[in-house]
Amino acid sequence: MSRDISRRSILAAFPLAALSVSALTACGGGTSSASGGPSSPVSQADIDSAMKKDTKLTFWTWVPDIQKEVDLFQAKYPAMKVEVVNVGQGGAHYQKLRAAIQAGKGAPDVVQMEFDKLPSFTLTDNLLDLTPYGIGDLKPDYPGWVWDGVTPGGKGIFGVPQDTGPMGMLYREDLFTAAGITAPKTWDEFAAAVSTYRGKNSSSMLVNWAPSSEANMLGLFWQAGGRPFSYDGTRNVKINLTGDAACKKVTSFWNDLFRSRNIGNEPDFADAWYQGLNNGKYAAWLTGAWGPVFLQGTAKSTAGKWRAAPLPQWDSSKPASGNYGGSTDAVLKSSENPIAAAMLARFVNTDDKAALTLANEQFLFPPSTKTLKNPAFADAAASFYGGQKVNQQFTDIASTVQEGFQFLPFNDYAASSYDKTMGKAIGDRSDLNAALSAWQDDLVQYAKGQGFTVAS
Amino acid sequence: MTATVADRLAAGSQTTAPPRRKRSGRSTLLTVVMLLCLVYFLLPIFWLIVASTKANEDLFNSFGLWFSNMNLAQNLNNVFTFQNGVFIHWMVNSLIYAVVSGLGASALATAAGYAFAKYRFPGGNAMFTVVLGAVMIPMTALAIPTYLLFAGANLTNTPWAVILPSLVSPFGVYLMRVYAADAVPDSLIEAARVDGASEMRIFFQIVLRLLVPGSITVLLFALVASWNNYFLPLIMLNSPELFPLPVGLAQWQAASAAGSGSQALFSTVITGSLVSVLPLMAAFLFLQRYWQSGLGTGAVKA
Amino acid sequence: MAAYALSMPFMVAFALMIAVPLVYAGYLSLFKKQLIGGVSFVGMDNYARALTDPSFLGGVGRMALFLVIQVPVMLGLSLLFALILDSGMLRLQKFIRLGVFLPYAIPSVIATLMWGYLYGKDFGPFAQLAKSLGLPAPDFLAGGNVLFSIMNIVTWGFVGYNMIVMYAALRSIPAELYEAARVDGAGEWRVAWSIKIPAIKGALLLTTIFSVIGSFQLFNEPNLLRVIAPAAIGQDYTPNMYAFQLSFVNQDANYAAAIAFLLGIVIMAVSYGVQLTTNRKEKAS
Repeated sequence: MSRDISRRSILAAFPLAALSVSALTACGGGTSSASGGPSSPVSQADIDSAMKKDTKLTFWTWVPDIQKEVDLFQAKYPAMKVEVVNVGQGGAHYQKLRAAIQAGKGAPDVVQMEFDKLPSFTLTDNLLDLTPYGIGDLKPDYPGWVWDGVTPGGKGIFGVPQDTGPMGMLYREDLFTAAGITAPKTWDEFAAAVSTYRGKNSSSMLVNWAPSSEANMLGLFWQAGGRPFSYDGTRNVKINLTGDAACKKVTSFWNDLFRSRNIGNEPDFADAWYQGLNNGKYAAWLTGAWGPVFLQGTAKSTAGKWRAAPLPQWDSSKPASGNYGGSTDAVLKSSENPIAAAMLARFVNTDDKAALTLANEQFLFPPSTKTLKNPAFADAAASFYGGQKVNQQFTDIASTVQEGFQFLPFNDYAASSYDKTMGKAIGDRSDLNAALSAWQDDLVQYAKGQGFTVAS
Repeated sequence: MTATVADRLAAGSQTTAPPRRKRSGRSTLLTVVMLLCLVYFLLPIFWLIVASTKANEDLFNSFGLWFSNMNLAQNLNNVFTFQNGVFIHWMVNSLIYAVVSGLGASALATAAGYAFAKYRFPGGNAMFTVVLGAVMIPMTALAIPTYLLFAGANLTNTPWAVILPSLVSPFGVYLMRVYAADAVPDSLIEAARVDGASEMRIFFQIVLRLLVPGSITVLLFALVASWNNYFLPLIMLNSPELFPLPVGLAQWQAASAAGSGSQALFSTVITGSLVSVLPLMAAFLFLQRYWQSGLGTGAVKA
Repeated sequence: MAAYALSMPFMVAFALMIAVPLVYAGYLSLFKKQLIGGVSFVGMDNYARALTDPSFLGGVGRMALFLVIQVPVMLGLSLLFALILDSGMLRLQKFIRLGVFLPYAIPSVIATLMWGYLYGKDFGPFAQLAKSLGLPAPDFLAGGNVLFSIMNIVTWGFVGYNMIVMYAALRSIPAELYEAARVDGAGEWRVAWSIKIPAIKGALLLTTIFSVIGSFQLFNEPNLLRVIAPAAIGQDYTPNMYAFQLSFVNQDANYAAAIAFLLGIVIMAVSYGVQLTTNRKEKAS
């Protein structure tokens, strides 16, 4: 509230800006608005009448061709008119969202939001709790760790899962065979495979690990049982990278690999990296379940040579994985049509046909058990992977992802802090263990500066 | 209109240009050295042309500075049809933003520059100093305040959010002040006043035509600045149909690195880049003499 | 009255588009906003914090280094080319002039994209050439080299522009100024050094000051190169990138505003310094 007052008073000092003043005061400001949805359940009658009323919704998303699912929605609810806008991928998307929220206008009704970003927007109270809109009845359809992702801090349901990225390993079977190795089952085997492979190849490495890889690294922490962060929804955060045995174990493991110079440290998703996957510079890629199709589109010349396998394990008697990437669709608290917005978020991701289209035509890895088990999805054989049922492989992996992982409510900062500590060490092949401490310290300092009570 | 401007400019440069100097003899050696330097300046452009003819895979598998399999037609097709042909929107937007901003900035700067040069008025110098000082503060960090103000006036995500800020060219005012001080003789203004002409009439009917070469300089500056503008439209615009070329291309480039739902569009981005620099390069080629005289004016008198 | 009427349209636009956001930002810079706890007035604290902030100071230092190396190289080349053009000793004069100027037509976003490919360690043409000659591929994007790689992009884009400005200034020197020197047997270089260069001091000062401003405000090139060199280019690589990062990632627009104002002051001081040195030199000579 105080920010609105101050904004008003400064503008009032400038007659020239009178135009803006009226507009700004009229709109109230997004972050501290007291309105924003009922706390008791919305009745089916309310929903029915809302869905019959002519309504215009704005939906920010970068999923290619999501118009397909939106069309299904509009066909079912002819009164709905949805404008799909791709404002930019990744960083630009969230920057624009924040700017619009801060300005109190121009924000969409429904927004694509990655799992790791959700808590930063619930922290600022910008997302609508979907509990009253009946989204809670979807819970049984999802593995526990997916549901964790849309209920940060356990304070409500703030999104409908759209896709996930349980981590596995994609690898070139031909290159592995030529080097005399098989897909490593444990991390020890993996480390051995890295050096064996390197010993037989002067211009190829088993794997690349990028410097700007916070989300990817958190997936490995997750797999190892690391739970470095938590947030209780009020002012308490836990930041415990250096005290968490699993995080330390993973960091030290990769530190040795980087120091050995037997793995790559190239930026990912850049032209040279794409090409490295395409021409055999890298024989494997540890990635999320969205990876297989992605690879298929970018490394065409290697079709048929790839295979998918689970991540190497720390304890092969208890197979585990972590999640890397994936999104939800969330509803902004500022939406004037919360019922319709909630229904849109729900429909595009959970309607049988829409969900299957997302999975089979847009190749988002489905979060819901229902779609995962649908033979139209699970039984698809991928020729790029030598006829392997890759979807089935990743479905199996998804069932090994453990619950309880949380992200910080300032993950943007955590990622940029990772870049300047861990990422820098990866790029320079310097001490990754020291970098983990530096990351920890930087995060603690930031959190304290922002007024959080920090536990470790 | 362009014809008259052209004539005036040509006439202007003839009267002010120094008499042709004696040539001290052409040097082949110097020419060869300069041509070698030219390789440096043209190499990236040559690369862009070559790369535009390649498919995604060939971008990496063939030598970067020579042609491989010709895929230009397919690339162009991709550029103009991807996302329902949004690229054409971007081109039109860039053109509109640049032309409107250029003309507007030039008009505002011409009037203000003349006023600062030829009138002593209370606050005049202070205003001019503030205008110049403002150039020193980077606009990046003002993005949020500016965005909030524009949002308050309902201007974000409209073409105005890009055009209005581009109308303000402090550098243009500076150039026009310097230019007007020299190009408009005080005696001319005095004579007109004696004849009973109003100040406005003096400006519009007598002074303005003397200022045209300077105004064109500012126009060209503002045009190029607006054509190249990336940061402001990036912040202000959400709808891809409103993007200018640099923002749109950067978004396509970013689409290659978005994790789930990524698409590798390298050849499309490269070909799109080539298409988008062609108009300005063509303008440079065909409007050489305006650049020449135009860009010079400010600096000459500074 | 006419003076106000004529300057009014610009001043109104200036006030709305620049002055108001500036004042607003200045006001914001006096506050602190925390994710938990909201907004509080902190006076000059943000400024004090910036003065000991290694990210800000590091960025300013890096830009100072950039300035000290890149600006003289760029303007030196521009001046040299302008003098050569003006000497009338070139064949293909028009072609060469246009060729050097052409990069100015390319938006920095696209220029950076192009150079990014050219710099590539695996697939860039320089790397390809080096490999075919059996040499190690140069790593233009390594930590120690990347600043120079950025300098190169900026130099490439602006040598031609500055050259044209200087060339135009040279062309306006009255010929009689140096005809006499020529008659006395002074060579082209001698004439250039003792007559032409002093005569275009105004243009040189102008291009220098604008290069200074441009250097300190560097943003697009490093920001886009970061995608392919994230370990070498931090998000606080330049003060402008840092301010952007503070605004949009750290959610600290207040501190970002303070950084922007401090940077503005640094730029003013350096520009003023440049002007002073030229004036002093003028007096001395």
